[in-house]
Amino acid sequence: MKKIGTMTRRGFIKVAGVTCGYAVFGFNVTRKACAAAMEFVGIRQQSVYAADRKVYAIRKSQDNPMIKKLYAKDGFLHEGPCGHESHHLLHTHYHDRSADLKALRDKGVQLTL
Amino acid sequence: MSGCSAKHPAAAPAYLSGLEPPATGQRVEMEGVEYKIAAPRGIDPASIFFVQVDKDKCQGCGECESHCPTGAIQEMYPDGQRGVVDPAACVNCGQCLANCPYGAIHEEVSYVGEIFEKLRDPDTIVVSMPAPAVRYGLGECFGMPTGTYVGGKMHAALRRLGFGLVWDNEWTADVTIMEEGTELLERVKHGEKPLPQFTSCCPGWVKFAETFYPDLNAHLSTCKSPIGMLGPLAKTYGAEQSGISGKKLYTVSIMPCVAKKFEGLRPEMDASGYRDIDATINTRELAWMIKQAGIDFASLPEEDPDPALGMSTGAATIFGTSGGVMEAALRLAYEVLSGNTLADPDIKVVRTHEGIRTADIPVPNFGTVKVAVVSGLKNAAKLCDEVRAGKSPYHFIEVMTCPGGCVNGGGQPLEPDMRQSSIFRSTIAKINRRFTQRRVG
Repeated sequence: MKKIGTMTRRGFIKVAGVTCGYAVFGFNVTRKACAAAMEFVGIRQQSVYAADRKVYAIRKSQDNPMIKKLYAKDGFLHEGPCGHESHHLLHTHYHDRSADLKALRDKGVQLTL
Repeated sequence: MSGCSAKHPAAAPAYLSGLEPPATGQRVEMEGVEYKIAAPRGIDPASIFFVQVDKDKCQGCGECESHCPTGAIQEMYPDGQRGVVDPAACVNCGQCLANCPYGAIHEEVSYVGEIFEKLRDPDTIVVSMPAPAVRYGLGECFGMPTGTYVGGKMHAALRRLGFGLVWDNEWTADVTIMEEGTELLERVKHGEKPLPQFTSCCPGWVKFAETFYPDLNAHLSTCKSPIGMLGPLAKTYGAEQSGISGKKLYTVSIMPCVAKKFEGLRPEMDASGYRDIDATINTRELAWMIKQAGIDFASLPEEDPDPALGMSTGAATIFGTSGGVMEAALRLAYEVLSGNTLADPDIKVVRTHEGIRTADIPVPNFGTVKVAVVSGLKNAAKLCDEVRAGKSPYHFIEVMTCPGGCVNGGGQPLEPDMRQSSIFRSTIAKINRRFTQRRVG
């Protein structure tokens, strides 16, 4: 009988077959599991767009009466968006946190980014 | 329903008299996740952990690592157990926690004890500020199908819990569009600040940008997030509207998120003259509070928020999903740039399930608005590198840390099926790992 390495031809086919079977099975189950995991996010996302269409009578921020009231001529933010009071209350500045990161890397900590 | 008067009952709700709020330091399991009761105040949030691994529960499978955008969670012990290495590297997204098949990752901060104390205090008016995405996840904690919209029941539950003012973070999502949309138009027209403009609603992304791409800070919208806006507006404009001094208001941010706990503690968040945000909890903690109060959630009526700082639009509710902030902003930008009314508010081309999406939006009387939408920070880093290289063609880029957006936030109810499927994947990973170790060893 013809040998491949120290294995019989029949034995090789058997091992290869079983290996392939498990590989395909494993791959499919994993893929299905990943798909299921992402699916629930998709369902929640669809629910958001359905509510946007069906639950909310007004669909643009600028048409919200309580937004119009806030920015009205006699309103709390009467200068309009990005005015002085807006800048004081609603806008911010950002920090440079790279020094903390550098300190960490200097200690020898490896990150993926 | 008027927005101008606090409808808090004269006496606190009956359930509170029989309730023993959890004490500081206690560990409480809420909706399958363990929380340490702790209500930090006046500290630098960059110095504390918001999530951490329980070494004894960790099986070393490494599932968390595959969800961590920075590599902050890594092998720290000889037997392969993981840990969050340092607060500086962690963006607090909580995706590790949401995807751990063994429930080995807990939250380090929970204000629920303090909130119950404040609800009981007759001199304090507790204000609710729930985020858009909370109402698409909360129902799942009460046996409803995935994604069920429970906005009306959520408002009803907040009133029954004893929140004196039921304001809604969706209202400030609309304010955010007005501010951030106007800022974008200024950048496009006047060019004083650089393009592209990045969104700044997502606290995981903002900390990530500040840490890994601080040279791009000028590209971040200067707008606070919707909750960053509702905190100070509640204690100034809201105080004026309700006739209650800002000093008596205790503002509770209710989020689908872990990183919002970091944002609420940022030292600069005191524009109102008080702490703008007194406490931050997430969807799981709200569900736990509703259950503690013995409220039958499913049978609650649908109620509206108090309108003055509560009324909202479809543009606000879509903030909770990847592509939503972009679509909401375009509904404004289109009308301002073109001078025309946008007949169909659906801008489906920016709706994004996973990864990066780019689009050219033709706007009459202006030209083309070029936009990109991305969820997942590894994807965002690609767009940041483009901006850094001066090769980014976009006007506006929306970034969300969690894949799919806030509806999949680290503070949302866990998906039970996902935990099971992850156990399978982790088992395979574990076997592979043992196998490799043996060969190497």
